[in-house]
Amino acid sequence: MPQAKASGIGAESLPKPAPKPTVGDRLAQVLRAGDADNRQLRWFGLVMLAFALLFPWFAGPFYMRLAIEALLLGAVALSVDILLGYAGLLSLGQAAYFGLAAYVSSLMYLYVSQSFWLVALAVSATVAVFSLVLGAIAIRAKGVYFALITFGAAEILSKIAHNTRAIGGSDGLIGIPVPSIPLLPGVAIDLHSNFAFYNAVLAGLVLIYLGTRRILNTGFGSLLRAIRENSSRVPYLGYNPFWYKLLTYLLAAQVAAFGGLIYPLLRGFVAPNLFGFEVSTKAVVVSLVGGIGSLIGPLVGSVFITFLESVVGTYTERHLFVLGLIFVVFVLFLPDGMVGLMRHLSERRRRPA
Amino acid sequence: MEDLLVYLHFVVLPQMIDALVIGVALAVVALGLTMIFGLLDVINLAHGDLYMLGGYAAFTLLGWGAGYWGALVLVPILIGLIGWGLEELGIRPLLARADRATVTLLLTFGVSLMLRDLAQVVWGTDTHAVTAPFTGMASMAQVFVPTYRLFIFGAGVLAIGATWWLVYRTRIGAVLRATAVDPGMVASFGIPIRLVYGLTFMYGCALAGLASVLLSPIYAVFPTMGHDFLVLAFAVVIVGGMGSITGAVVAALLLSQVQGLASLWIPPVWAETMVYGLMLLVLVVRPSGLFNRIGED
Repeated sequence: MPQAKASGIGAESLPKPAPKPTVGDRLAQVLRAGDADNRQLRWFGLVMLAFALLFPWFAGPFYMRLAIEALLLGAVALSVDILLGYAGLLSLGQAAYFGLAAYVSSLMYLYVSQSFWLVALAVSATVAVFSLVLGAIAIRAKGVYFALITFGAAEILSKIAHNTRAIGGSDGLIGIPVPSIPLLPGVAIDLHSNFAFYNAVLAGLVLIYLGTRRILNTGFGSLLRAIRENSSRVPYLGYNPFWYKLLTYLLAAQVAAFGGLIYPLLRGFVAPNLFGFEVSTKAVVVSLVGGIGSLIGPLVGSVFITFLESVVGTYTERHLFVLGLIFVVFVLFLPDGMVGLMRHLSERRRRPA
Repeated sequence: MEDLLVYLHFVVLPQMIDALVIGVALAVVALGLTMIFGLLDVINLAHGDLYMLGGYAAFTLLGWGAGYWGALVLVPILIGLIGWGLEELGIRPLLARADRATVTLLLTFGVSLMLRDLAQVVWGTDTHAVTAPFTGMASMAQVFVPTYRLFIFGAGVLAIGATWWLVYRTRIGAVLRATAVDPGMVASFGIPIRLVYGLTFMYGCALAGLASVLLSPIYAVFPTMGHDFLVLAFAVVIVGGMGSITGAVVAALLLSQVQGLASLWIPPVWAETMVYGLMLLVLVVRPSGLFNRIGED
């Protein structure tokens, strides 16, 4: 830098203006996780992503659709992890948002509009309103009561969907048209192609994952962790935990709604059991199996459990038993899930005993 | 006016009596749940499946010729022992953890899945009928009630009374209440609190077994019987106050009346939904429920 030298003494000691971050830098920053020991986690994530991208090249249509389902469940699991891993809130009712989004989008497709983005907007707005109201109620209650309120609310929604003839009652809604998703002018994703559908969902989920991680790695995320660790001290720092929890709840509901938004397009029908306890708890199970508080864990856990269930299902009808057993083993022996196990192994390798 | 009296006498009153009988049985199940939560901080999601196992066990024992009375004695013991095993093997290792309310909830959920599937392996998915030990109707002021329902009422009241006496009028109960408040202090007196925890869990599960034998002739035995009943029992425990014995009984009677009476005027499925609505309302107004936790009452 010849100019800097010419301008005399002192110029050298002035702090250099930080170079404008390039797109690559930003990407690296997004990919970098908050805590220092997350290097392995990044590699884990990249390997998983590579696997997910290669998957369509060797999978048949059945497994493609199963994978899409796993990714949608992954969205619900991710929302569980946002709440439990960052704000310390165990939600037993995330299926409420999955189901709500699925029903709202189905009704929109059937009766109002076939425009994907309009439907997405309507779903997002409905879920936002609902989650702010329910969140305000549930967050006021402490500890296990939060779990029970969310559980109860999901149960009520399920019953309402089950009992209301106008939205299909116990049969649900069928014959939902599958629109194509306009991306850019002239470019649209045709969801009739499994390949396009899979990649669109994968891309959506990766974007959601990166966005969520970005949000949770800011001061907002640190504050959430502080609230989780000691909720009663945070107010002394001048922050009201309520609003931060509520915002997190809103975020998590939106993430779960992504799964519900896409689900009707995959299956062509929705039923009251989408709200049900099974979906909510399965989301918690796969988060735990993958690893709570890692964000990537729930996605991996969801894929792992969905495929395991399918494989076990071909040998025996007792897949619930296997699921329960895996769950018990993870709770008792591997509380940090697959991500925790992997971290543990790679640390052991680095420091050979 | 005349019509109203007739309506109250022959429509509303029998419905209330029915609801009272179910409410007492519901209170027995909810008592077990609430005691376990009050002492161990454990939300036992497997409670409904233990209730279901109780129903199937009663069905099997009757098939083996143990008779209804044999089942009434043996099933609570059996379910209590299973509960004790669950506490010993699964819950005990997690109790020391700070997030024990969450992890034990997850654990019992896993156990619940396993039990539900196991029951289907052993007993299939059919609904099995269990015959009541006696039939017949009792009548008072022209209101007819099956004798068996009166028996459920009596047995339920007896179980609730015995539990109340045990908790509030015996030395064991004093230890139990003290453990709910400050386990560390109780342990420093040389009382084996692990045993207190184990016995409480066992007793709570035995109550579920008792309720399932009592109700099996009315509702029959089927795979999802536990799930449906558990959700209702949770509503009861939440409304009454998690860990409150008085609350569980009061809320069980209250909610069963609400459900019973509401289903006179609105479809029963909506009456059920109303119960959960009421639960949410209580949580909004008074998040800790109507009554205080065991040991603090």
